[in-house]
Amino acid sequence: MPISEILLAGASERDLTKLEEYHMVGGYAQLARARELEPAAILAELDASNLRGRGGAFFATGKKAGFMPRDSPRPKYLTVNADESEPGTFKDREIMLRVPHRVIEGSLITAHAIEARHVFIYIRGEYLTEFEVLRAALDEAREAELLGGVTLVLHRGAGAYICGEETGLLESLEGKRGQPRAKPPYPAITGLYGAPTLINNVETMATVPKIMELGGEEYAKLGTPDSTGTRVFSLSGNVVRGGNYELPNGTTLRELIYDIGGGVPDGRELKAIIPGGSSVQILTADQVDTPLSYDAMREAGSSVGSGAIIVIDDRACIVQLGLRVAQFYMHESCGKCTPCREGTRWMVQLLNRIEDGDAEEDELDLLLDVCDRILGHCLCPLGDAAAMPIASYVDKFRDEFREHVRAGRCPYGGESSLERVFAPVDQHRGHPTVEVAT
Amino acid sequence: MSVPELVTVSVDGREVQVPKGTGLVETALAAGIEIPVFCYEPRLGPAIGACRMCLVEVEGMPPKPQAACTLTAQDGMVVKTALTSQLARNAQNATLEFILVNHPLDCPVCDKGGECPLQDLTFRFGPGRTRMTFPKRTFDKPIPISPTISLDRERCILCYRCTRFSESVAEDGELVAVNRGAQSMIATFEDEPYRGRFSGNVTELCPVGALLPTTYRFEARPWEIQTVPTVCGLCPVGCNVNVTTREGKVKRVLSRNHPDVDGGWICDKGRFAFGHLGARDRIVDPLRRQRRRGLQPAGWDEAVDEAERLLRAAQGRIVTALSGSETVEQAYGLAKLMRTGLGAHTAVLPEEISDAVDGFRLPLSAIAGAELIVVVGDDPVEERAPIVDLWLRAARRNGAEVVTTGVGGGAKACRQLAGEDDELGRRLRESDRPVLIWSGSGGAGGAHVAACAERLGFGSKPDSGVFYLPLTPNGRGVVEAWSAASDDEGPDPDPIGLLFVSGDEAASDPSVRSLAERADAVIATTMFQGSAVGWADLVLPGTSYLERDGTFVNLEGRLQRLRRAVVPPTPDELAWISQLAGRFGVEVSPYPSVVFGELSERIFGGLPYGEVGERAALRGREPTGELRAPAPAATPKGRGLRLVRYRPLFSGAAVERVPELAFQRPAAEVQLSPQDARRLRIKAGDEVDVRSNGTSRRLRARIDKGLVAGVARIADEHAEELQATVEVARA
Amino acid sequence: MPQPLDTVKGFGVTFKQIFKKPITQEYPEVKRPVYPRFRGRHRLWRFENGLEKCVGCSLCAAACPADCIRVVAAENTPDNRISAGERYARIYEINMSRCIFCGYCELACPFDAITLGNEYEISEYARDDQIYTKDMLLAPPIKRTPVADAELYDTPIPYYKEHA
Repeated sequence: MPISEILLAGASERDLTKLEEYHMVGGYAQLARARELEPAAILAELDASNLRGRGGAFFATGKKAGFMPRDSPRPKYLTVNADESEPGTFKDREIMLRVPHRVIEGSLITAHAIEARHVFIYIRGEYLTEFEVLRAALDEAREAELLGGVTLVLHRGAGAYICGEETGLLESLEGKRGQPRAKPPYPAITGLYGAPTLINNVETMATVPKIMELGGEEYAKLGTPDSTGTRVFSLSGNVVRGGNYELPNGTTLRELIYDIGGGVPDGRELKAIIPGGSSVQILTADQVDTPLSYDAMREAGSSVGSGAIIVIDDRACIVQLGLRVAQFYMHESCGKCTPCREGTRWMVQLLNRIEDGDAEEDELDLLLDVCDRILGHCLCPLGDAAAMPIASYVDKFRDEFREHVRAGRCPYGGESSLERVFAPVDQHRGHPTVEVAT
Repeated sequence: MSVPELVTVSVDGREVQVPKGTGLVETALAAGIEIPVFCYEPRLGPAIGACRMCLVEVEGMPPKPQAACTLTAQDGMVVKTALTSQLARNAQNATLEFILVNHPLDCPVCDKGGECPLQDLTFRFGPGRTRMTFPKRTFDKPIPISPTISLDRERCILCYRCTRFSESVAEDGELVAVNRGAQSMIATFEDEPYRGRFSGNVTELCPVGALLPTTYRFEARPWEIQTVPTVCGLCPVGCNVNVTTREGKVKRVLSRNHPDVDGGWICDKGRFAFGHLGARDRIVDPLRRQRRRGLQPAGWDEAVDEAERLLRAAQGRIVTALSGSETVEQAYGLAKLMRTGLGAHTAVLPEEISDAVDGFRLPLSAIAGAELIVVVGDDPVEERAPIVDLWLRAARRNGAEVVTTGVGGGAKACRQLAGEDDELGRRLRESDRPVLIWSGSGGAGGAHVAACAERLGFGSKPDSGVFYLPLTPNGRGVVEAWSAASDDEGPDPDPIGLLFVSGDEAASDPSVRSLAERADAVIATTMFQGSAVGWADLVLPGTSYLERDGTFVNLEGRLQRLRRAVVPPTPDELAWISQLAGRFGVEVSPYPSVVFGELSERIFGGLPYGEVGERAALRGREPTGELRAPAPAATPKGRGLRLVRYRPLFSGAAVERVPELAFQRPAAEVQLSPQDARRLRIKAGDEVDVRSNGTSRRLRARIDKGLVAGVARIADEHAEELQATVEVARA
Repeated sequence: MPQPLDTVKGFGVTFKQIFKKPITQEYPEVKRPVYPRFRGRHRLWRFENGLEKCVGCSLCAAACPADCIRVVAAENTPDNRISAGERYARIYEINMSRCIFCGYCELACPFDAITLGNEYEISEYARDDQIYTKDMLLAPPIKRTPVADAELYDTPIPYYKEHA
């Protein structure tokens, strides 16, 4: 299986964090070319490439940029979402560490395409090294006078998952409490400081220079028709060779896990796969041949999401997995809308009781109903992201949940292999955590 | 104004036409359908969609419930509420279940019980029983976030109404949400008390029993109370209020939204100062000075006899000192007694009143829509008429420019504005919706600012306006009533045979006190012992605005009805004025309605008492004669700084008697301009001595950028006997 | 029209009753038992630790169709703890002369603080005495025994005579 490198092209041979090295692989050439073009021509290329947002929502990038009003009297802003916090996802980190100039170049091209004079990169607070690499790259670009009058602001977050949600990010950027805004109005109309704002993921931005280089149509030939191009997949969990792998969209999970990742270690059996970060529905071992593309995953009842593939072997307790996922979302819920704030806490309480073996059989249905009542009722996708995976765990591994109820204890005891998959929530020291009585 | 485009929306199958852009909640209401809400409150700015109670199904949108509060009416929209949509019904049921999961359900103890939106909506839309079997989240409670407000975080449903009020209406930013997720809670910064002029409004905004007034704590239940719609009589704004009474006692004051006057907000003084009704030193019996024994309680018959004797003995050499807080009827009755009965035409008012601004009359709400607002005068607007300050903030948020000319020379500023080559004046001339506000003393009742407006061409612009902020709540009405009682004039009496002091404000006025020293006898009407005891010969008990029927005229010139909320512990003023008047052959009815009928013929165009209305309308502009700015008062010359006194909002006889408001009283400080402070080497927070002719006060210095050089501003109660020119030096 | 036959029939019924045993009871010497769910005089209850169950919520007053209950609440303090929660009834009065003994107060009470007992001998000579205070309601009802010797019976002077 050839690894076709687009985003990370050249990064294994050279140190692309240096501007001169990046110049060697044709860096910033596309920016210079793009600046010659009309903004509409760049948008047309993006449309032709059928590039879809890499943050997880799969919204067509060209279309989103097209929503920006042409004749607004207010300034326009481009915001790059580098607040990568989804459990299991570490692709943006790799991209920023290894090809920071590509992120900057893509951002500047996009800023030109929407006629923005200001670019804000909102980087996750914990990504200190990445921040420094990006800042060094930015300094180099500024000294080389590549910014072309665009102000590029590198803003560090303070460690809230919700600030990865686009409107929560804007609020945080404005210096307010990081909580999502009600949509509509969408950021393209009323975004940062009330001005039209385009928000894109780091990976999306880093793809842009290559699209300009290859041409939109050529790029669209990569991958599958519904998910064009390549993606950096973050492979983690109970797998031999975890890490970031750039692959064309449409690669199957089996290829990724077994051919590239080396399969499940210690001769254990594959039990389940989370194909797109902790927010998506779980897949069972027999769905391992599903291709990593938007449509195929949807048919399988899940999503590629942020491209984080988490492999779970047969020692893992799904109830414990659910508990840790739910704890994460409870801890990260911003507290603005009711279903998410109250529902995630309730979910954790129920899962705790199930894990401890104190639950009744009908509490599994109650858990499902709580998930159902969160789903689709929240202000932002965080609530859905908590409810969907938990519901899928109960759906697909109901027998395991029942076993907990029937046995009155966790059948896996301390044997679970989850330690390498999800951190328990009490690692979040220094933050006020919700105390859940069991 | 252009006519807004109408769109047709179907709500639960009912077609309704509303202007485009109307919120869905209002659209449904227009169709007669209620969409339940918690966090939605249009007066707090854009909807935030936090509570998820208003979920409805909208055809053509993604197949999940939509928050109605964040949507606006579009043509052809088909909306299904919980009445017809199972999806919406389930969603609302789910929201309520989630809200109640951690709600303590201590309704029997909670003061909101019985008038609680959460209770009401749970009964209508919520699940009948809980499925929550875990311990609920607990917090310490109740927490007094200020002496007037208590916070119960367990009951809080985090609708963020209070924090939004604090952030985007009062703009004090003192109330915030801290922590996140299920542990989110409302707090003040660093647990400092919530000090603000409008903090009490959050208790009314709160849809549950989380923020409650401490003064109403466990006082009454909704089925035990009566509500009296009246107006607040503590400042010239005249906010419309509902007074809650139980068993003949005032228990709380709530706002009663008059969109043109107060927009549904009231200040903390109006809300919490009602405690003065039951003050310990309230006078309930007349007091009569008896030789060697001082003031002794007397019966009413005796008191009226004594009043008659004193009035006759003065032989018409009578001066009446008015407070400006009397009702129009009371002032008219008194004027009739004094002027037609006794030929005593001399009255002392706490400030000058003029009808000059009536030619530029505009409702207060128009300030929010203004384009350019210029505030002149010495006093901060929020100290004189706090709600006007809220309108100014709203205007600023709406994009208006608000210019304050700075303290020290309002008349000068007016003359300058009206000059030919003034830049600000030019812009006022050019603006379509300019507003001029005079806030402070020395304004000649608005004559300065009205003359300025006329020269700026306001007369020809219907959307321009001039406001004069008087010191007294009903000064305008009292003056109109006084002058309506008689057309005769008389010379000022000298020496003064009798000083008649009406009200606590007049009684605490130093100039009235100095008159009293020159008078042979003094009759005073006051509510409190502290006001007149010691220097009056006869004290008649006074009543408060909450105990009176009648009318008030506010600063806009709006005539508003005052309704008696509780029966005073003593006969009201009109009762004994009527009796006294009878002894001098003057007919004054003891009933405000009859008195109003008589004076309405003279000054209010025959408007019947019954038609003043609960939401009084504003009279149209009244043409005024030629406007000429009066000569400005002479600025005192001398070394040192000019002393500018102001009467703080939280001051006066009523506020002093409410212990809960003590924390809001002004600090003992002197405000200095940055230039003077630098010159005098004074830093903010320094202890300074303020001296003038022999008197000295030690105060704390505060630097105020809004002050011009050469001025020291001190609150009335801290300035005490300081003269007009003071010297300030570091202690 | 005279109906002699019917008249005779009617008197027949009367005569038949003469020979039956009378059911009159000598009240107050003989007291009829009441049914267990008979609703008589109210009683306020305490917890075993002595705290009052009533929190002064006024729901009984809201439910009362005769408007005979008056509750004035106040706040518990550490020094003066009356009930379990934040709030207690500082004043709790029932005007027995207005009460219709419907038992709605009992139904409305969220804390089972008020119940209606079986006592029905609550007559007084003065209306004022019919207003039961909280202390009276908290105390067990006084058992009234019939007076055997009328001479010993100390008839109180009615209120209205005393305060004419």
